[in-house]
Amino acid sequence: MKNDMLGVIFSENPEASMGELTSLRSLAAVPLGGRYRIIDFMLSNMVNSGILKVGITTPVNYQSLTDHLGTGKDWDMDRKDDGLYILPPKDTGESDVEAIGGIERLTGISSFLNKSQQEYVLVTDCNTICNIDFDKVLESHLENEADFTLVCTPVKDLSSKDVRKHILLNVDDDNNVTDMHIYPGRQVTDLSYMHMFITRRETLMELVEYASTHGKHQISKDILLPAVTNDQVKVCAYNFTGYRKKIDSIQSFYKANIDMLNKEVRDELFGLSVDKPIFTKIKDSVPTKYAKTAEVENAFIADGCKIEGTVKNSILFRGVHVGKGATVENCILMQDSEVMENCLVENVVFDKGVILRSGKKLVGQDTYPMVIGKEIVV
Amino acid sequence: MRSKECVAMILAGGQGSRLGILTQNVAKPAVPFGGKYRIIDFPLSNCAHSGIDTVGVLTQYQPLELNTYIANGQPWDLDRTNGGVFVLPPYTSAEKGEWYKGTANAIYQNIGFMEQFNPKYVVILSGDHIYKMDYNKMLTAHKKANADATIAVIEVPWDEAPRFGIMNTDENMQIVEFEEKPENPKSNLASMGVYCFSWDVLKKYLMADEADPESENDFGKNIIPAMLGDGLKLMAHRFDGYWKDVGTIQSLWEANMELLDDKPGCDLDDDTWKIFSRNPIKPPQYVGATGSLKNSYTTEGCEIYGKVEHSILFEGVTICEGATVKDSIVLPGAVVNSGASVNKAIIGSDAIIGDGAEIGSTADDANSDYNNTKICSADITLIGPGIKIGNEKKVAVLSMVTDDIC
Repeated sequence: MKNDMLGVIFSENPEASMGELTSLRSLAAVPLGGRYRIIDFMLSNMVNSGILKVGITTPVNYQSLTDHLGTGKDWDMDRKDDGLYILPPKDTGESDVEAIGGIERLTGISSFLNKSQQEYVLVTDCNTICNIDFDKVLESHLENEADFTLVCTPVKDLSSKDVRKHILLNVDDDNNVTDMHIYPGRQVTDLSYMHMFITRRETLMELVEYASTHGKHQISKDILLPAVTNDQVKVCAYNFTGYRKKIDSIQSFYKANIDMLNKEVRDELFGLSVDKPIFTKIKDSVPTKYAKTAEVENAFIADGCKIEGTVKNSILFRGVHVGKGATVENCILMQDSEVMENCLVENVVFDKGVILRSGKKLVGQDTYPMVIGKEIVV
Repeated sequence: MRSKECVAMILAGGQGSRLGILTQNVAKPAVPFGGKYRIIDFPLSNCAHSGIDTVGVLTQYQPLELNTYIANGQPWDLDRTNGGVFVLPPYTSAEKGEWYKGTANAIYQNIGFMEQFNPKYVVILSGDHIYKMDYNKMLTAHKKANADATIAVIEVPWDEAPRFGIMNTDENMQIVEFEEKPENPKSNLASMGVYCFSWDVLKKYLMADEADPESENDFGKNIIPAMLGDGLKLMAHRFDGYWKDVGTIQSLWEANMELLDDKPGCDLDDDTWKIFSRNPIKPPQYVGATGSLKNSYTTEGCEIYGKVEHSILFEGVTICEGATVKDSIVLPGAVVNSGASVNKAIIGSDAIIGDGAEIGSTADDANSDYNNTKICSADITLIGPGIKIGNEKKVAVLSMVTDDIC
């Protein structure tokens, strides 16, 4: 059933560095998992949670994202009341995206927030993939009579390099967040904030207004941390224990894809048994054709592919062609890319429409996959 | 309502009784085909690509699944503000209520629907053929010839001609005679059941046909002969692509298997003429370490751990480790458990084949209680939708299984 909550998704995350994959598209529009884009997970979660109005901020390079989302009909978000809103930036004269924080983004969409009718708002980054029921988060928010509810997840044994990417929370027995460590040098607690929070829409608007008129930029540092340290404000945690993967680098992107070769991950992430599917743009591709010469082992393959060679431990997007005698191993081949006859590719990520001519060999490192940019012919 | 130059009407009320258990609860146009399609996707997609955006679908037999499938017509771009797709079941009126008595009567009963759009032309289609056809070309030919009716025809092998409605034409392709299933055909141009009529002419003939109590209210038997008898200008429009009637289990199986040919007659992988369908919301297919697929067609949501050869798997099918599937069609959601073997069979939606079971068995001790050579031929075995076959059970070749075998 519908609930009284508005969704806001940031389509960019300045902390993510995806190299070639985001040179032509926003982070939210990066293809993932054979037939999806990163945004599909967060947007589907919101739709499945009964959220009927979602705004997506789009600071740069948003053409591929708007192509993908269209009117929102593949998510059933093409509505008269509410529905999907793509929120392009206001022209502030600022060209440096990195310098713009979440506060500026929310300020930029103040009229959208202002015009919305919903009592509550859920604000999230786009680049964590998981299958989460936000209706339960809202339920917990109401039950706790919280001013803010932060979604967090258990983490353990973070390396000193990794821990600097986390915001760690101290939570007491009553689910109250008592302290917050933003990008700490060592692992001080074992709960990490997932960059998703719920608050009242009007509260958010007031805080954003205050923060932006006081030269503040960061939601975590300038809105959430002051709330946590203010005794008058009740900040609670919602502990999400399911599969989740944050995509902020080529390695984590590669790992998130490869994780889908695991049945438990697939079953949970794609929500098949609980009827919380991940929606995406429909392409009407034909079924995948396996030729007499196809050898396929441990592979996740979308529709519209034509497989004549060998494919192992790989993810193939829609419309990929693997020629006779070719071997594809530990690869992620995006839409309409082609590996011609007798090629060998290992540990490689092909962006959309890459063509590898007959007999070529491309081998990346297993610790750092090679990325071939969009529509390059090798 | 805005005027439309051309409205299409799809006859989708037929039972398709020769498909046996497959059409027990669904109308034939809703029968799955080719891995991710239903038969009706073909005429609907053809309409979309031909620029016909107002389509009536006449339903009668078991319409629930077909209605749900078509719904608002969105997959075929038929969710229009002006026009779109309309499901038209039989209805009652102040005077009487009746079923669709025949193809012509079904259209007659919907004269009111078509009149709303004030059409110049009406295209009548059947919902049970596999083909890709540009109806607009036919309409253009119809207009150019200044014809009263234009009938699409396809050349069939001479020895098969006696099974079809045959059009005898003059050198200008004008139809001079129509023969239904002639013993000694004079031509091998068969009617495809695709008609284009000038609406004012058709309307007159539909009314006259309805007034005739002797009429069977059928296009082939009554309307076309009546028009020919009155000397109207009926043109044959030659179609030279792939066209297949999938009215029997054998022809359905063959049409599916032909998709696996090196150069399939009906190439579905055609960006200029995509066949649209209502897509399942499922993740990509997964092929496990023990899985293998050769010369097969599979789609989203499948999990394959067994061996699949020369087969078509629909969405959400699971083939477990050690199972083999050969020369078969496995419909949505079916499960073939460990060690089972499926040979030249059609497995109905959501059917479950037990561990080590054998479908299409030629062993002497195989269960032949469900032998049905009226429906099944060419050594094809048919397992009904939702049927469970117990572990180690052997189902004899040419069976049509309609109950669980435990």
